[in-house]
Amino acid sequence: MSEYTVVGQTVARVDAVEKVTGAAQYGADVHPAGMLYGKIVRSKHAHANILSIDTSEAEKLPGVRAIITQDDVPSGRRVFATDKVLYLGEPLAAVAATDPDIAEEAAELIKIEYEVLPVVQDVMEAIKVSAPRLQSDAAKDGPNRREISAQIRKLTRDKENDHSDEISKLEAALEEYPDEVYYNISAESHSEAGDVEKGFAESDVVVEDTYVIPRVHQTYMEPHVSVASADSSGKVTVWASTQGPFAIRSGIAGTLGIPLTQINVIGTTMGGGFGGRFGVIITHVPAVLLSQKTGRPVRVQMTREEEFIDGRPAPGCVIKIKTGATNDGQILAREALAFWDSGSVSGASIGSTIRVRGVYKIPNLKVDAYGVHTNKSGTAAYRAPGAPQAIFAGESQLDEIAERIGMDPVKFRLMNMREEGDPVPAGANEPKVGYKETLEAVADAAGWWDREAGENQGWGVAVGDWTNGCGPGGVYVSVHEDGSARIFHGSMDITGTDTMISQITAEILTIPYESVTIRRGDTDSAPYSTGSGGSVVTFTMGNTAKLAAEDAHRRILELASERLNTNVDNLELKDGAVHVVSADPPKSISLGELAAYSLSTTGGPIVGKGSFARQASTPALAAQIAKVEVDPDTGRTRVLKLVASQDVGYAINPMAVEGQIEGGTVQGYAWAMMEEMQYGENGNINPGFVDYRVPTSADLPTVESVIVEVPAPNGPYGAKGVGEPPITPTLATMANAVKDAIGVRVTELPIKPEKVVEALKSNGHGT
Amino acid sequence: MAKHPVSLTVNGDEHDLLVEPRKTLLAILRDTIGLTGTKEGCSTGDCGACTVIVDGKAVTSCMVLGVTASGKEITTIEGLASDGELHPVQQAFINTGGYQCGFCTPGFIMASKVLLDENPDRTEEEFRHALGGNICRCTGYTKILEAVLEAAEEVRTTA
Repeated sequence: MSEYTVVGQTVARVDAVEKVTGAAQYGADVHPAGMLYGKIVRSKHAHANILSIDTSEAEKLPGVRAIITQDDVPSGRRVFATDKVLYLGEPLAAVAATDPDIAEEAAELIKIEYEVLPVVQDVMEAIKVSAPRLQSDAAKDGPNRREISAQIRKLTRDKENDHSDEISKLEAALEEYPDEVYYNISAESHSEAGDVEKGFAESDVVVEDTYVIPRVHQTYMEPHVSVASADSSGKVTVWASTQGPFAIRSGIAGTLGIPLTQINVIGTTMGGGFGGRFGVIITHVPAVLLSQKTGRPVRVQMTREEEFIDGRPAPGCVIKIKTGATNDGQILAREALAFWDSGSVSGASIGSTIRVRGVYKIPNLKVDAYGVHTNKSGTAAYRAPGAPQAIFAGESQLDEIAERIGMDPVKFRLMNMREEGDPVPAGANEPKVGYKETLEAVADAAGWWDREAGENQGWGVAVGDWTNGCGPGGVYVSVHEDGSARIFHGSMDITGTDTMISQITAEILTIPYESVTIRRGDTDSAPYSTGSGGSVVTFTMGNTAKLAAEDAHRRILELASERLNTNVDNLELKDGAVHVVSADPPKSISLGELAAYSLSTTGGPIVGKGSFARQASTPALAAQIAKVEVDPDTGRTRVLKLVASQDVGYAINPMAVEGQIEGGTVQGYAWAMMEEMQYGENGNINPGFVDYRVPTSADLPTVESVIVEVPAPNGPYGAKGVGEPPITPTLATMANAVKDAIGVRVTELPIKPEKVVEALKSNGHGT
Repeated sequence: MAKHPVSLTVNGDEHDLLVEPRKTLLAILRDTIGLTGTKEGCSTGDCGACTVIVDGKAVTSCMVLGVTASGKEITTIEGLASDGELHPVQQAFINTGGYQCGFCTPGFIMASKVLLDENPDRTEEEFRHALGGNICRCTGYTKILEAVLEAAEEVRTTA
């Protein structure tokens, strides 16, 4: 039995009633008096010079109150495109009108003259010399050229000696890699451990493949929205649907040159985010500009179509990967070269390419990653940003190796998994993590060891790792005269985190969960809090809430010691009252009485403060097994079983943890099997739910979740962040299951029916 | 744009309005009447977040022009609980954790309510298909189905 009474229990969420009755206030539900409706005017071309923008017709439309372009951005920071657009849907202007339909009509009346330029959408085309250049003419060297060029630079610097012979040899060697000059590179990242060439030489089996992962949209159900109200004193209030109100506050301040404390950001209930709800310029900045110009509140709300053409989705990626192993199953080396589609700006999750190392003892590792500009919108985080892509490549290839050496995929993984104290390639040594426990748990739960597969059926397994982030947070907790406690903080609830904070507070104050209420402040009132992304909230705000409750606990004992005339060492807080330990007859005083008493003391009311910023976090593992059946004629894959386990450290609210595992797994399934933002000659061609299919309840069976608890040393009660890990292995889990079912590997996601049919044809099926 | 008279009964209240013909029922509910519990997720009838009940049928209100809804009886998420008592579907969504961000929840609850009114004896597989017009991005549907099955059980035993 657990030593805890509130944490570790499934409780109804604090926001339960407001969420099921329609009372919760999301961004678009905010409607201040006199509010105008904003509309962004967007480029109709994916790459073009802007010759002119004529707003005169639109201005004449009754109901139009303001039209703004980059000329109306006093700070000069780029909000709207001026001379050139780099993707379909790039903002060029914005309108505010008394009615949303009038705003849309006005946007259509703005005349823009374009000079259309050649477009490049594919990363592998964009790196070629023939591709149009989007941001600069600069070229970068690929991995082999980089090494040779570095040697040339080193020798050239040495003026003491004559290296001209060596240099000319090296220059000749450069010629061997003509394809390794890359264009349109937005960023690069390189890491190395050991000697991969040596590792491959010592391997019995070396496998090399290229994996292609599409760009997908987070597809939170609530489109981006903000309502801004600028008053005549210069004070700006923004109701923002965001994961990080404090980040939005500094973002607006930085972009528009408004003093930080002149901006108040009120985080509204968030309709999903998954990493995509940190953007400042998408709606918040235009709303502020329109409000400043009109002197009235303005709402800027994206449509679903706008989300697809100008959201900030997850980057697609092409990964060339090579792995070497011995015949007895030891992985010796892995090398990866990745090209990430960062769209028109830099910032794709290229650093996550390192995740190809997985959780395995790979002594030799080399990873080279490049971000590549294309004519698409920029990208943003999506649930464990970058990890699903890299892990898809890594875990798919592991199965290929396991097959070559004739080893069970689960046993092969178990054999190579790192243990506590093992070195991590290009990282710090491994702490205690339930890698093997989690994989064994899913194998047992799914019935892996005595699995059976009928005709065209197959089983797939994969694991994915992720480490929760950590950031600053502040929490206050007050204890009231009725014995209840009220929490005050500024972090956004991300599907259950307010409940977790309440549970921890109740646990420490030894009061029922129902006696705790929680209030979120805006950036004007609440203590600073990091954004709710990167699985940080349970780790950061859980620890912060614990500190605040412990601080209140100290004050409670101090007050009781005064009241009960005894040293605090003789006192114990239990069941909402302070008791004198082993007093006979029993002697105690309730929290309510102490709170009432506190009001007339020199020390004052019971207010606990928690302030927290950094502790080392511990990796988490998600392990999944799928059983599928593929129809060889239609290529359709049906999931028969999907089991997901995860080392969560400690499940503070098991129902909420299961919900994260189930939801993340289904998002991973969708990326593997269904979702893909498609681009034609002039930008995105599937900006809606008919052409961009996300899963419905009809697409999947019940996801079975298995919670594994190997405590994290610094996590509250041992908890780790749970939101992101479950999406990381699913892409490979599904691909491995389809491979097992049909005997052919699909290396390019999503595994749509037509690709399965193609793969089967290439394997001789149906011929 | 010329406005037309529209009379709606929403959650038992009568509303006599003048609306432009281009305004959807969703826009009227949210912007004119101020019932913002019904959500706009796509405006193209594909996500189900705006599902309301019109004369007993589940309808995506973004696909209905307000002028065509005149004279109809409409129930929104705000009208589902009665006498301070949650509807069994609402309670079941709480009990099972059938919601996370909550944005799709009003639509799911309204669609589920109609399904249970029609026939609470559906199998899980039948409910999975019947709810295929509503998109949830958080839950992976496992706990939504648990909620609907729990509510169906409740409806069956109390009917």
